[in-house]
Amino acid sequence: MTTRPTVSIARADGSPSGSTHPLPAVFRAPIRPDIVQSVHTGMAKNKRQPYAVSEKAGHQTSAESWGTGRAVARIPRVSGGGTHRAGQAAFGNMCRSGRMFAPTKVWRKWHQKINLGQKRFATTSALAASSVPALLQARGHRISTVPEVPLVITSEAFEGAAISKTSAALGLLKAVGAGPDVSKVTKSRKLRAGKGKLRGRRHVQRRGPLVVYNPDTDGKELVRAFRNIPGVETSSVFALNLLQLAPGGHLGRFIIWTSSAFAALDDVYGSTSTPSALKKDFLLPSNIVSNADVSRLINSSEVQAVVRPAKGGARTKRTGVQKKNPLRNRQVLLRLNPYAKAFSEGKLGQEKLDAGKPERAAETFSEILHED
Amino acid sequence: MAEQHSNVSSDLIWEICRANNAYLVKRTSGGGVQFSRDPLNLVNKHSRKYAGFVNDKAVGIHPAEKGGVTMVTKKTKHHNRPAANKNEVSWTGNKSGPKIYKGIVNYTAKQGYRADLRQEAVARASAIRRSSQPKKEVPEKKLRGSKAKKAAEKDSS
Amino acid sequence: MVAAKKHIKIVKKRTKRFNRHQSDTYMCVDPSWRKPKGIDNRVRRRFKGQIAMPSIGYGSNRKTRHLMPSGHKAFLVQNVADVDLLLMHNKTFAAEIGHAVSSRKRIEIISRAKQLGVKVTNPKARVTTEA
Repeated sequence: MTTRPTVSIARADGSPSGSTHPLPAVFRAPIRPDIVQSVHTGMAKNKRQPYAVSEKAGHQTSAESWGTGRAVARIPRVSGGGTHRAGQAAFGNMCRSGRMFAPTKVWRKWHQKINLGQKRFATTSALAASSVPALLQARGHRISTVPEVPLVITSEAFEGAAISKTSAALGLLKAVGAGPDVSKVTKSRKLRAGKGKLRGRRHVQRRGPLVVYNPDTDGKELVRAFRNIPGVETSSVFALNLLQLAPGGHLGRFIIWTSSAFAALDDVYGSTSTPSALKKDFLLPSNIVSNADVSRLINSSEVQAVVRPAKGGARTKRTGVQKKNPLRNRQVLLRLNPYAKAFSEGKLGQEKLDAGKPERAAETFSEILHED
Repeated sequence: MAEQHSNVSSDLIWEICRANNAYLVKRTSGGGVQFSRDPLNLVNKHSRKYAGFVNDKAVGIHPAEKGGVTMVTKKTKHHNRPAANKNEVSWTGNKSGPKIYKGIVNYTAKQGYRADLRQEAVARASAIRRSSQPKKEVPEKKLRGSKAKKAAEKDSS
Repeated sequence: MVAAKKHIKIVKKRTKRFNRHQSDTYMCVDPSWRKPKGIDNRVRRRFKGQIAMPSIGYGSNRKTRHLMPSGHKAFLVQNVADVDLLLMHNKTFAAEIGHAVSSRKRIEIISRAKQLGVKVTNPKARVTTEA
């Protein structure tokens, strides 16, 4: 293996500080959108609150079926008289003011238990994807001004609660090239479509960068500084959450690391061979295919040495060509039947004709034939 | 893919982003077309060949000021430095078309950068130039039939 | 505006609509097509003289499917950026402005489409007034 790639650490004003940090092993984890998506759908369910219709809804009447013989459906009907309601059908889901079909219950299975191994796999996968600029772009992050991905800012910038005001935080984001991504979020704020508007989810907006810090060295003041910037979220490196690393199950969140948080990643996740210091029984998942570049694999001398040559020589299959009748088209006939040339030149088809009439059978032949 | 990690490749990125990505424009009309807003996509088509953000080498051509053309190419060296990952070449509108196209071909095809995109690059540059030229006004429709003419006269008087 | 790419003749195998069985007899039966499912249904059993049912055989040639008579395919646009997508496709696609787009933005869209040589299928909607 060649030398481990390094990531340069930027100063608070965006200029490179000159120091670098080797890329933590977690960024080499396999990128598996299928696992991330399935874990995300499970995790996204864990914040739900139970809801249900009233237990009594549609059943607050003493309806009773009239039975057969009254030329009406056998559905329960409201008893009594003196009101229009009397005699109307009740209870059924097809009835006006009846209960709904399969009334919702508060004891529905709201939350999903997801295996810890899968959750950890998904998190490492999402982290690995966050270091690929193409995936960040595909998620919609504006990163054309970002000096490097993953973006690491020196922890000195956060020392002694230096970033405790939102204006300072915004200035930092703009200085390190995350400004376009933040302004994209601000511009994207729109009214939500549908009923969610009435239910405390009035607006929708994009997600901006995620700032990951190390609470031990960077302090927690920066959380307050960043929290009023639209779309920007903060997370401790020790409590990374898949819902933030891959919102919507889509890989490639734009993450801004503080240098101490970045340095802590190797402790948090370990590597494929050394177990994590903080997670019990956890080794980073290793890639099944060590080289993901398919064209390089196919063109590698190892693969090329064992593939057999293409069958049928260098012939291209002609599609969309009109079929020709070989009995009318001589060239096509010759292609199908190479003997046809010799056959016609030698006039082999005429041989019998030229031979004249066959000899008549001897007299005795018919006699023997008709003998009784 | 000089210094990209071994767990990532453009093939993988394409498979991840193929079903949906931020640049993709899907419509049900016209048989479900898929276009791409990617600035490095020469024909705005959602496909592996033209997807600029996926491929290591990609060409984008955009209108510049006063009928000029700007060509953007991706550098292969700093794949993880988005800010320093672009080459830009501009031609002003004063340059003749063939000269611009020659420049584009020199950059894209002749240096072996993306020879397969030669035709598309030139076609896009020429389409951009054509779009920057002033367009003829559509002549006003002539009135058909004597009745219509009479009605028009009546209106004007 | 650029004319569409040359294409083979558009043949519509059927131009009449497929109306739902008995929608002609009853007001309450909507003409939108529903496949008859009844056990004795004569339309389902394809008896002589009954209405025709839609089937894949009525489909258009793949080369002319989705084509408008002008030879373009329609592409729904809501803003100028959507029109820009058609820069390289003005021979195959025509822009169709979404119904909720305001007249002010329609004018921008139409002028941009004119620059790019993109045909707009509904250039008069909301822009011109009726005499």
